[in-house]
Amino acid sequence: MAQYEKILLNNMEQPGYTGSLPDYERAGGYQALRTVLKDMQPDQVIEVVKKSGLRGRGGAGFPTGVKWGFIPKDHPGPIYLCCNADESEPGTFKDRQLMERDPHQMLEGMAITCFAIGAQTSYIYIRGEFRLGAKILERAIQEASTAGYLGDNVLGSGLTINIFVHQGAGAYICGEETALLESLEGKRGLPRFKPPFPATHGLYQKPTVVNNVETMANIPHIINRGGEWFASIGSPPKSCGTRVFCLSGHVKRPGNYEVPMGIPFRELIYDLGGGMRSDKPLKAFIPGGASAPFLTPEHLDVKMDFESVALAGSMLGSGGVTVMEEGTNMVWATLRLTEFFYHESCGKCTPCREGTSWLVQTLQRIWGKRGRPEDIGVLEELCGNIAGRTVCAFGEALVGPILSTIKHWRHEYEALIQEAQGTRPAGKELLVFTH
Amino acid sequence: MATTNETQTDLVTLTIDGKSARVPKGTLVIEAARQVGVMIPHFCYHPKLSPDANCRMCLVEIEKIPRLQTSCSTPVTEGMVVKSANSDQVQAARKSVLDFILANHPLDCPVCDQGGRCDLQDFSHEYTATTSRFIELKRVFQKEYFSPVIETQMNRCVQCLRCVRYCDQVMDVKALAPVGRGTLTEIKSFGAHELDCEFCGGCIQICPVGAITSRLSMYEFRPWMLKRTDSICGYCGDGCQITFQTKNNDLIEVNSTHGAGRNNGDLCARGYFGYHVSVHPDRLTSPLIRENDDFQPVQWEEALELVARRLSEIKATHGPDAIGGLITGRCTNEDVYVFQKFMRGVIGTNHIDSSVRYGHLNGVRALQRVQGTHQWTVSFEDILAADVLLLVGTNVTETNPISGLKVKEAVKRRGAQLMTIEALEPAIGAISNIVNLSRHHFGVKPDAYAAAILGILKAVLDQQAVDPEIRTKASDYFNDIAAQLEAISWSVIEGETGITASAYKEAAETFAKGQKVVILAGPGVLRTSGGFGMMMNLLDLLLITGKLTKRGCGLAPLAEENNDQGTFEMGGVGDVLPGGKPSRDGEARKALSQAWGCPVPDSAGASLPQMIEAARKGQLKALYIVGENPLGSLPPSSGIQEALEKLEFLVCQELFLTETAKNAHVVLPACSYAEKDGTVTNTEGHLQAVRRAIDPVGESRPDWEVFSALSVLMDNSMEYVDVKEIGKEIHNLLPGTRTLGPGPLPSKPDPSAIARYVSSEYKQDLGSRYRMTSCAPSPSDQMTLMISQSLFHSGKFSLKAKGLMQLESEGKLYLHPDEAARRGLGDGDRVKVLNRLGEMSTTVSLRERIPHGMAVFPEHFDQEMRRLLPYAVDPETQVPYYRLTEVRIEKVTAS
Amino acid sequence: MIFDTLQQQVEEILARYPVKRSAILPLLNMAQEQEGYVSESAMREIAKILDLTPPQVFETVTFYTMFHLKPIGKFHLQVCKSLMCALVGSDDVVGWIQKKLGIATGQTTPDNTFTLSVVECLGSCGTGPMMQVNDDYYEQLSEEKVGRILDDLKRDGICSLKTGPFMYPQPLAK
Ligand SMILES: Cc1cc2nc3c(=O)[nH]c(=O)nc-3n(C[C@H](O)[C@H](O)[C@H](O)COP(=O)(O)O)c2cc1C
Ligand code: SF4
Ligand code: FES
Repeated sequence: MAQYEKILLNNMEQPGYTGSLPDYERAGGYQALRTVLKDMQPDQVIEVVKKSGLRGRGGAGFPTGVKWGFIPKDHPGPIYLCCNADESEPGTFKDRQLMERDPHQMLEGMAITCFAIGAQTSYIYIRGEFRLGAKILERAIQEASTAGYLGDNVLGSGLTINIFVHQGAGAYICGEETALLESLEGKRGLPRFKPPFPATHGLYQKPTVVNNVETMANIPHIINRGGEWFASIGSPPKSCGTRVFCLSGHVKRPGNYEVPMGIPFRELIYDLGGGMRSDKPLKAFIPGGASAPFLTPEHLDVKMDFESVALAGSMLGSGGVTVMEEGTNMVWATLRLTEFFYHESCGKCTPCREGTSWLVQTLQRIWGKRGRPEDIGVLEELCGNIAGRTVCAFGEALVGPILSTIKHWRHEYEALIQEAQGTRPAGKELLVFTH
Repeated sequence: MATTNETQTDLVTLTIDGKSARVPKGTLVIEAARQVGVMIPHFCYHPKLSPDANCRMCLVEIEKIPRLQTSCSTPVTEGMVVKSANSDQVQAARKSVLDFILANHPLDCPVCDQGGRCDLQDFSHEYTATTSRFIELKRVFQKEYFSPVIETQMNRCVQCLRCVRYCDQVMDVKALAPVGRGTLTEIKSFGAHELDCEFCGGCIQICPVGAITSRLSMYEFRPWMLKRTDSICGYCGDGCQITFQTKNNDLIEVNSTHGAGRNNGDLCARGYFGYHVSVHPDRLTSPLIRENDDFQPVQWEEALELVARRLSEIKATHGPDAIGGLITGRCTNEDVYVFQKFMRGVIGTNHIDSSVRYGHLNGVRALQRVQGTHQWTVSFEDILAADVLLLVGTNVTETNPISGLKVKEAVKRRGAQLMTIEALEPAIGAISNIVNLSRHHFGVKPDAYAAAILGILKAVLDQQAVDPEIRTKASDYFNDIAAQLEAISWSVIEGETGITASAYKEAAETFAKGQKVVILAGPGVLRTSGGFGMMMNLLDLLLITGKLTKRGCGLAPLAEENNDQGTFEMGGVGDVLPGGKPSRDGEARKALSQAWGCPVPDSAGASLPQMIEAARKGQLKALYIVGENPLGSLPPSSGIQEALEKLEFLVCQELFLTETAKNAHVVLPACSYAEKDGTVTNTEGHLQAVRRAIDPVGESRPDWEVFSALSVLMDNSMEYVDVKEIGKEIHNLLPGTRTLGPGPLPSKPDPSAIARYVSSEYKQDLGSRYRMTSCAPSPSDQMTLMISQSLFHSGKFSLKAKGLMQLESEGKLYLHPDEAARRGLGDGDRVKVLNRLGEMSTTVSLRERIPHGMAVFPEHFDQEMRRLLPYAVDPETQVPYYRLTEVRIEKVTAS
Repeated sequence: MIFDTLQQQVEEILARYPVKRSAILPLLNMAQEQEGYVSESAMREIAKILDLTPPQVFETVTFYTMFHLKPIGKFHLQVCKSLMCALVGSDDVVGWIQKKLGIATGQTTPDNTFTLSVVECLGSCGTGPMMQVNDDYYEQLSEEKVGRILDDLKRDGICSLKTGPFMYPQPLAK
C-alpha cells in the first residue's frame, strides 16, 4: 500500500497528541503566524497562497488566493473572515475531526488569513449540532489569546485579530456562504442573490472572505513550507495538495483519509478503506458528498482530482465518498437523498422550494410501487427546470443524484413502476412532512 | 441636481427584445424593459422594495451570460442585449416556474377575492398549459385567525415575501413573519397570536395573489364588477390618493395604486380601512328641524327657508356681526370658498373660523410672518432628499402616517440623519416609532419642547454654527437673539429638558452641517401651549443657520385635517381673505368686493374662542357650523356648552347628529367626501381632486350647494352650476394659485418679508418666546396626561368607520410598564383618573414608548376625559390649547 | 425572566458582534438550555434585548430545526436517517428505540424522559449508524449499545458511551 505524507492529520495521529496549545506549539505550531507577522506583507501572503494552487475545500473548489485578492485594497474596513464550519453535506465529516482534534491548526490558518485580507474580526460558523467542537474551539481560542496569538496586539505586532465561535442551529443551507452570512447576521438563513459577492458585500455588507475549515487548516503549512512545495503535491496544476476524503457506506474501514489529490477512487476504497464490507461487489459510489452525481464501478479508476471527476460527470465537492454495494436499490438511495434536500430547501426560490416537494413525492410514489410510466420523464423534466434557475447552488446539488441514477440505473425505476402497473393503480399517498 | 451633461454620461443603452432603450445607469433590466413596453412577468419584484429575486419568474436571456438571469436584480450595462418574449428558453423557464407555483396552489379562484386581478391568473393564462402533470398532494396550511380586518389564505401564497418586505422596508413595522422553512413556509404574526400592527393594508395591496385580503370586503365582489373612482382620502393632511371601488352605488373597498398620488400608493389604516364612514347607518338623510326637544325631518325647502329667515332676522335686529360661521377643514376648497363668501358677502361678517384654528394656524401664521408665505417651502420630495430632518412634537406615524413614511424612507434608504424632539421613548411596538430611527433623540416632556428648541438654538450660537451673512446684515436681530439666549443658562435648559448641553451641541452641529434640512412640526408644537412661539423660534433656527432661503430646506407644519391648508387659503379664517391676505388689507378687500359684486366687511373676524366668548356674553346670536363639532372637540372648560345654549339660532350642517348638532335648531345633511366633487389642498400645499364615487346618501347635498341655495333665498344670489365653476372663480380671483398637477410647486420665501422680520418685526414677541417658562415638577403622585391622536382614528369622525372601530373601539390610558408597575397597575386594570377639574374611569394599557411620569389617552374617545383638561388660548393666534394636564391615577378595585 | 440572571453572559455575547441582531442564535440557544424549549416569553425577551419585534425572532426560530417551540423529553434522541447512515442500518436503530421505549418517532415517553426524532445528516457518516442525545454523539450503534445508552441515561443521566473528540479511523499503533 502506498504511503503518503499527511499534512493536516499528521499532528493528531501522533500518539498522545491532544490538540492543546502546548502540543501544537511543540509540533511547530504558530511558527507560520510569527513568520507572517515578522517578515511578510499581506500581499505577499496572498501571493504565496495563490502560488500554492490551494482551492477551497468546502465544495466549490474556488482558488483561495484569488478569493482573498478580491477583497478591496485600502478598504476603510471593517473586513471580515468567516470560517465555514457548518459541515452538513451528507457524507462529509472531516471538518469535525480537524476542529475537535487539532483546533489550533485552523485557528493559526485563520489568523494568517485575517492578516492577509486585513480582517480584525472573524467568526467560525459551526453547525449547532457540533456542541463538542464548539467547546473545543472556544477553549483553543482562549489558549491562543492568552498566549498572544489572538486578541489585541497579536505577538506584539500591534494587530488585532479576534475569533469568535458562532453556533448554528440546524440548517444545512447555512453552509452556503451567503446563507451563512444571513444567519450570522441573525436572520433566517436564506441565500442572497449574487452579485454582489461577499468579497465586496459580505457580512453586514462589508468585504468578507468565507473559507472552509480544511482550507484554513492548510494555510500554516503553505506558509511554513512554501507555495511551490504545496503546488508539487497532488495533481498540479489544478488540484494541488492533499485532501481529507471522508469514506462512508458499505466499506470495511470507513473514516477520514488524507491523501494527495489524484489517487484513483479504487485506491481509497479498496486499499485504504479495505474494500467492500461484505462480499457483495461495489454497485455505485458518490464521489463528493450528497450533491455529487453517482458514479459506477466503471469509474473506480478515475483520479480523485477536480478535473478528472468533472470529466466523469460528477464532482469532487466536499470530499465525501460514499460506497454502495450490489443490492442497494438506487431509487431508494435517491429518495433518501432527495428527502434530505426537501427537508433542507430553505424555500426562498420557487424551483427548489416547489421542486423538492414534487420530486420527493414522486420518488416516494415510485418507491412505494405507485409510480406511472411517465414519472421518470417528469423527474427528468423537473430536474431540468430546477438546475440553473435557482438563487443558490442547492438547485444544482439536488438534481445530481436523481439525474445520475436515472442515467445509470433507469431499469430500477422502470422495474418498480412495472410492479406498480401490475399491482395497483397510481394513486395518492399521504405524505409525512417532517419539519 | 445633476447637470444635463452628467445625466447624459450616466445613461446606458441596451436592447430588449429588439427594442432599444436608454436608461440611467443602475436601472434594473425589468424597469428598463417596462420603459420600452416590454412587460416582464414577476411576483417578488416591486419597485418599492429591494430586489429579492426569489420567484424566478422574471428570468431573461442576456447575451454573453451563459445562464438565464433574473431581470429584477440585474442592473443594465452598456450594450446589453436582453431577450424576454423573444427567447424560447425564457418562455420555457417561465412556464416551469408557473408549473411549480401551481403545484401547491389550491386553484380556488372562484372564491378568491383576487380572482380577476391576480398576477398568477394572468401569467398562467399567458404561459401555461391548462393541465399540469402534478398529481401529488398539495400542501395545506391549517387556517388560523389572523386579524379582524386582514385575512390570510396561506394555501394561495407564492412566497414572494413582498408583504414581509413591505412591512419591514416601507412601514418599519416588522409584524409579518415567514414561519417555517421550505415549502411549508407561511406568513404569520407571532406564534398563534393575531396580527398586531399598523394595519396599513399594504400587505393586502402588495400581495400579487389572493393570499392576503381584506375582511371588510370579503366575498362581496368580483373585481370586474367594481367601478373605480380616483379621489383623495378624507382623513389627514397628507392627502393620499385613493381609489374608491364601488358596486351598485355601494362602497366595497378602497385602495391606492403604486405611483399614484403624493402617497405613491401607500396608505394608513384610516385610508385603507376607514371608508365605511360614508355609508354608516347613522348618516343624516334629511334636514331636521327642532321642535321642542325633538327633531322633525323636513323637506329641504322648509329647512332652508327657516335658516334664511332666522339669519336674516338676526342680521336685521343685531347686525351681521351677531352671526358667526365655523367650517371643518374636511370640506373641499370649493365648499370653504363658497361658505366664507356667503358669510362675508351675504351675511356681511368676518366672523368665520374653521378647524385650522385648532393648531395649523400657528404654523401658517408663523410662516407668514417670517417668510411671507403661508405655505411649505418644501415638499415630500424634499423630505426624501433631506440630509437632516428635525421632527418636533409630531408623533408623525399616528398623526400624518404618510409624511412619516417619507421620513422613514429618507432615513432608512437614503441615509438622512434624523433628530427628534418628541415625548416618545425609543421602543419597539406594534406601531412604528419614528424615534427608533433617530440619531439625536431628545426625549423631553411635551411641555418642554420649547425649552429643547431653545437648547438647540443656544447650542448653534455656542458652536458659532451661524450664517455669517445674518450676523452682519441683520446684526440687531442676531444680537438680540444672542442676548436672549445668553441670559438662559445651560443648567436651566438641562434642568428643564433633562438633556445635556453636549447632546445639544452634537445636534446643533449635525443641524448646521446639513445641506438640505427640513423641520417637521406636529401637534406637539402646533397644539401645545406656546405653539406659535415655538414655530417662530424654529424659523429663527433656520434663519440663523442660513437655511431658511436655501432650496430643499424649510419648516413644515403638518396639517391635521385633510384640507386644513386649503381651508386657510380659501379664507376659512375670519381675518384672512381668500389667498391669504389679511381682511384688514383695504386693497385686497376692494379687489374682492369688485369681483364678488358686493361689499366685504372690514371688521376683524372673531376666532372660535372669541365667538364662544361673544356667545356667552350674548353678543353672538347665531352660529352656522359646518362639519365641526366643537362640543366634541373642546373641553368643557372652554365654555362651549354655555355658549351654544345661549345662542338664539344654531344651524349644523353635518353627516351625523354629533354632540354639537344635537343642540342645533336646524340640522342640514351634507355629503361626505365619497359623494362629492371638488378639490382639497394637502399639507404640502398640493391641490388634488376629490371625486364623487357614490350617490349622495339620502337627501344629503354637497356643502357648497347648500350655501348657494341659502344665498338665493337671502336675495344675494351666488349660484354655480358645478364645482368647476367655483374653481374657475377661485382661479380668476387668485391668479397664480395652485392648479391640479402631479406635484406641488413649493412656494419660495419672500425676501422682503424676511427683511421686514429681521429689521423690526422680530421684536414684537421676542422676549416672550425666548424665555424659559418653567414647567413646575409635578408632585410624585401626579403624572402628566396628554391627549393625542391615534393612528386608527381621526377626530370623532372615524368612530363611524366600522373597520377602524374593529381596530380600536375604546380609549385606553397608555402607561409605561415600569410606571404602571410602580403604581401597582397591570395591563387591563380599571383606573380612575382625576384632577381638580373632574375625573373619569378607563382601562390601563401598557406601551413602552410612553415616557415615565406620563399617561396618554387618545383624543377621539370619551367626553369624560375632556373634563380634566384646562383650556388656554394663544394670545397671538387665538389657538386653543387643551392637550396636557396633571392627573392622579387610582386603581379601581372591583367591589 | 430568564435572562435576568444571565446578564453577564448576554453582555459577553452582544460584545462579539457589531450588530445586535447577530446574537439571536446564541441567545436562543441559551434560552433553550434554560427552559428546554424556546418559550414565547423567551422570544419576547430576546426581541427586547436585540431591538427586534417578536415576529422577527419567531421567524428566525422556526427556520432552524434545533429549536423547539414546545417542551420535549429530558433526552432528545435524534437518529440520523440520511443515506450514509441508512446504508449501515439507521432504520434498525429507530426500530430498536421504538421497541424499547414503546414510542413512535416524534413522540415522548410518558415519563417525559425520552423524545425520539429522526433527523438529517449530523456529520458522522463514517461512524454510522449514530444518534445525538442532547449535546452528545453516540456512534457505531448496535442494538446492545442502544439498550445500554437508554438504560444509563434513564438511570444515571449520563452514559460513558458518548464519543469524541472525533477521529476515525484511529491511527494504527506504529
Ligand atoms: C447548498 C450548499 C451547501 C454548502 N455547505 C457547505 C458546508 O457545509 N461547508 C463548507 O465549507 N462549504 C459549504 N458550501 C460551500 C460554500 O458556499 C463556500 O463555497 C465555501 O464555504 C467556501 O470556502 P472554500 O473556498 O474554502 O471552499 C456549500 C455550498 C452550497 C451551495
Ligand atoms: S436553491 Fe433552494 S436552497 Fe437555494 S435559495 Fe433557492 S430555495 Fe433556497
Ligand atoms: S421578480 Fe425577479 S425573481 Fe421574482
